[in-house]
Amino acid sequence: MDALLDVRDLAVHYRTAAGPVRAVDGASFTVPAAGIVGLVGESGCGKSTLGRALMGVLPRSASIAAGQAVFEGRDLVTLSPAERRKLLWRRLAFVPQTAMNALDPVQRLAAQMQEVLVERGGLSRAAAGARAVELFAMVGLDAGRLRDWPHQFSGGMRQRASIALALALNPALLIADEPVTALDVIVQRQILDVMRDLQSRLGLAMILVTHDVAVVAYACDRVVVMYAGRVVESGPVRAVLEAPLHPYTMGLMNAFPDLERAGGELVPIEGAPPSLLNPPTGCRFAARCPFAVARCEKDPALLEQAPDHHVACWRAAEAPALRPLASEAATWSR
Amino acid sequence: MPGASAMRRRPLPGFVGSGLGFLRKQPFAVAGLAIYLTFILLAIFADQIATHDPREILFRGAYRVARYLPPSATHYLGTTAGGRDVFSQLVHGTRSALQVGVTAAFFVVVIGTLLGLLSGYLGGWVDRVIMRISDIILGLPFLPFVLVISALTRPGTTTLVASVALMLWPNTARVIRSQVLSLRERGWVEAARVTGCSTPRIIFVHIAPQVAPLAALYGSIAVGWAILTEASASFLGFGDPNAISWGLMLQDAFANQALSRGVWTWFVPPGLCIVLLVLAGFLVSRGSEKLLFPKLGD
Amino acid sequence: MKRFAGRIAHAAFVLWAVATLTFLLFRLMPGDPTLNFLSDSFSEEMRADLLESFGLDKPLPEQYLIYLGSLLQGDLGVSFLQKRPVLDILLAALPNTAALTITALVIAYAFGIIAGAFLAFARGTVTEGIAIPAALITRAAPEFWLGMLLLSWLSFAWGIFPSAGANVAGSEFTSEWARLTSADFLWHLILPALTLALYLQGLPLLLMRATMLEVLNDEFIVMARMKGLSRWAIVMRHAARNALLPVATAFALGLGSSFGGNVVIETVFSWPGLGRVLVSAVQGADYPLAQGAFIMIAAVLVLMNMVADLLYAWLDPRVSVGARR
Ligand SMILES: Nc1ncnc2c1ncn2[C@@H]1O[C@H](COP(=O)(O)OP(=O)(O)O)[C@@H](O)[C@H]1O
Ligand code: SF4
Ligand SMILES: [Mg+2]
Repeated sequence: MDALLDVRDLAVHYRTAAGPVRAVDGASFTVPAAGIVGLVGESGCGKSTLGRALMGVLPRSASIAAGQAVFEGRDLVTLSPAERRKLLWRRLAFVPQTAMNALDPVQRLAAQMQEVLVERGGLSRAAAGARAVELFAMVGLDAGRLRDWPHQFSGGMRQRASIALALALNPALLIADEPVTALDVIVQRQILDVMRDLQSRLGLAMILVTHDVAVVAYACDRVVVMYAGRVVESGPVRAVLEAPLHPYTMGLMNAFPDLERAGGELVPIEGAPPSLLNPPTGCRFAARCPFAVARCEKDPALLEQAPDHHVACWRAAEAPALRPLASEAATWSR
Repeated sequence: MPGASAMRRRPLPGFVGSGLGFLRKQPFAVAGLAIYLTFILLAIFADQIATHDPREILFRGAYRVARYLPPSATHYLGTTAGGRDVFSQLVHGTRSALQVGVTAAFFVVVIGTLLGLLSGYLGGWVDRVIMRISDIILGLPFLPFVLVISALTRPGTTTLVASVALMLWPNTARVIRSQVLSLRERGWVEAARVTGCSTPRIIFVHIAPQVAPLAALYGSIAVGWAILTEASASFLGFGDPNAISWGLMLQDAFANQALSRGVWTWFVPPGLCIVLLVLAGFLVSRGSEKLLFPKLGD
Repeated sequence: MKRFAGRIAHAAFVLWAVATLTFLLFRLMPGDPTLNFLSDSFSEEMRADLLESFGLDKPLPEQYLIYLGSLLQGDLGVSFLQKRPVLDILLAALPNTAALTITALVIAYAFGIIAGAFLAFARGTVTEGIAIPAALITRAAPEFWLGMLLLSWLSFAWGIFPSAGANVAGSEFTSEWARLTSADFLWHLILPALTLALYLQGLPLLLMRATMLEVLNDEFIVMARMKGLSRWAIVMRHAARNALLPVATAFALGLGSSFGGNVVIETVFSWPGLGRVLVSAVQGADYPLAQGAFIMIAAVLVLMNMVADLLYAWLDPRVSVGARR
């Protein structure tokens, strides 16, 4: 498999008064040239930080402490700002979370489209106008809405507009950070359908960041599970979700309702991810893991347990035996 | 829009502060408090610090009034056109400045907080009436109104303080009101209501302490406004002619050609004192920059 | 549109209330100002005449109706001392005040906006450590004292600028416009306008800096960076445009309050504007003139408060174009 993006041992730290927060602490995964990769994990596991690090827009207090992220043969970590700017939006685009104030509130959508198409894409104003209409049609928006202000859009429509903006210059990789989190379930499905459809029509790669495994199950081809700044499991969606190898993945699957069929008992994982200010030594999930054993006091490495299926757990080999236990609510309550 | 929401995001430290942490985190506020303290000491010990009676007309020899004396060991800042000691006037001026500033601020805070609490908590017609009145007051030009009131009644400190309080309470009331509106939605206020707390009890025992820091901030700004207003009114001839105040000193200097004579030791120090004292209020309230602009309201 | 009408009705209400308050103030204050204002040198007959001509012999409600009626017609009465229609006196002073206020505000806001935006990018630097306290100091200084400092320095000590008035005494002009655009007028304008600008610039500077800092944290700025836009486009097109909304509002508010707030600066520089008219009318017990000047200053204030609101609504599509969700 020839990867479009290869993230190796990436570490991103925030400087704080209390010391460095290791928001991403040695994450590794790959993204193939086409398809949707779900990046999943509870809130606070470092997903957004990772996405922003790839785009090169970390806040000033953050810095990339180690690792590399090779995109189309070049390491994004060591790229100069000028070279990175050449890649941004042309090869590498971003879809923000709806709830955020991600569209400039005092500019019409048409102007925001024009801006990227003309200034970053080098199109003439007339060509940009035509392209904007085409892009809006692609995401299922009426061309007339181009003249509207962002606040006149509903959450779902704003998300469609953001996707249209991100696709403006035909990027190779699109990173979407919680693109459907703020939306209700019906609209979530619509937006995910749009993303799926566009992915297969345009053949690009997407990273879909979410805390919801149901979204991954519905929309993704591959999945990367993150916990406390690290990747704990990754592989094709079918393999990972049908036969999870990591207890955290098993727990996540109990904790979320299915996007397509409601019902089924939801079992939350008790507790919360550890503080990344002083992450625990050994397996970071140990404090919440029902299967923790003495060995778990040492750090498990991310290994290829099955073909194209990576996991970081000492008891990965016992996974088939652990899975039935994990599906019982009693296992998780302590 | 600005004020209240900014305040909510950045909770204020208690004014007493938690010792060293406060000193380190709020250097501006500490500087402001230090200035306040200095002036308070000056006011208390004015009689000891001043070298002369500020009202006394001094003489040189038998019959020559000691006009425009340059600074010297006896007259640190020289003398005025009327032969009075500038330094002593400056020291005694601290008293009237603090008096005007603190009383005006007190009334602004009390009236503004009370009406803001009532307006925000009771809502309905009480709210409408209070907000209408504050609209009208915000439609009155500040200094001209103070001048007209001074002219139509007896000019003096009481009139000044009253008109400053009358003109400034709406800013405080509006901010307190929006704060109360958000507090009202919190669980514990609802809980107090359900458990049968009386309305006055909820307002004054449960809500009032929550808005106190905000009211104190507006108070520290009102101190500055009152002092500036007193200075302006005195300068224009609407102050208490018998008081000893920085504004009157400046008026005296201006009217007696201190500028063309270049007697800067006469007209620079009173202005500097005003700047310092008003600045102290700004510094204390720097928790939120937007509070500096009461006219922007919400 | 509905908002527009509502805001005008609100302004009209405030204006009416201010006018009523003014009426009551000038007639009901302790010490019966109507008597104070009629000086002792008037004979009984003159006094009766005057009282009648000013309608002061009628019962209060009737006086009030007459007062409102003439206000609506723009009739502000006749000055006691100058024996000229109050409106004429005020209209003669208005251009001077307008020229001073607008010049000063434009200088103050041009400087404040640029310096404030610049300071937003200078967080934690020495420049910031000096500029912010300096801005606070100019806000804390009495305007007239700033004027006195500049006067003593630039006018008396160095003799660069004239110390008083708006024109050299005795100069004649073919029209008001010719006067306002004459080199002589502009030369006289510099010092008072600079003083006022110095006093006013702190507000736009601090406001621009604060809103700019807030806007720079907004997600759409991060998005603009992700789009690989130039720094110029990010700062000017996205950050500054959003940050300018409250500053524009402050400008309109400042215009309103400066018209009356200039009182002290006009006194220091003997600038023949509205504020001076008010002060000398109050000092000279010229009650129709004082009342008229007060009402005119208040009217400008109320009007500009309204403009500030409408301006904000107009500039911010979130307010002007209702949400359609
Ligand atoms: N600006 C910041 N300064 C310090 N810590 C931060 C900052 N932003 C995020 N963090 C911390 O980094 C960790 C990861 O955050 P984030 O990347 O937002 O996670 P996710 O997107 O998975 O919810 C969290 O523990 C969070 O508290
Ligand atoms: S390594 Fe141990 S503690 Fe960690 S997930 Fe596996 S079993 Fe649980
Ligand atoms: Mg996130």
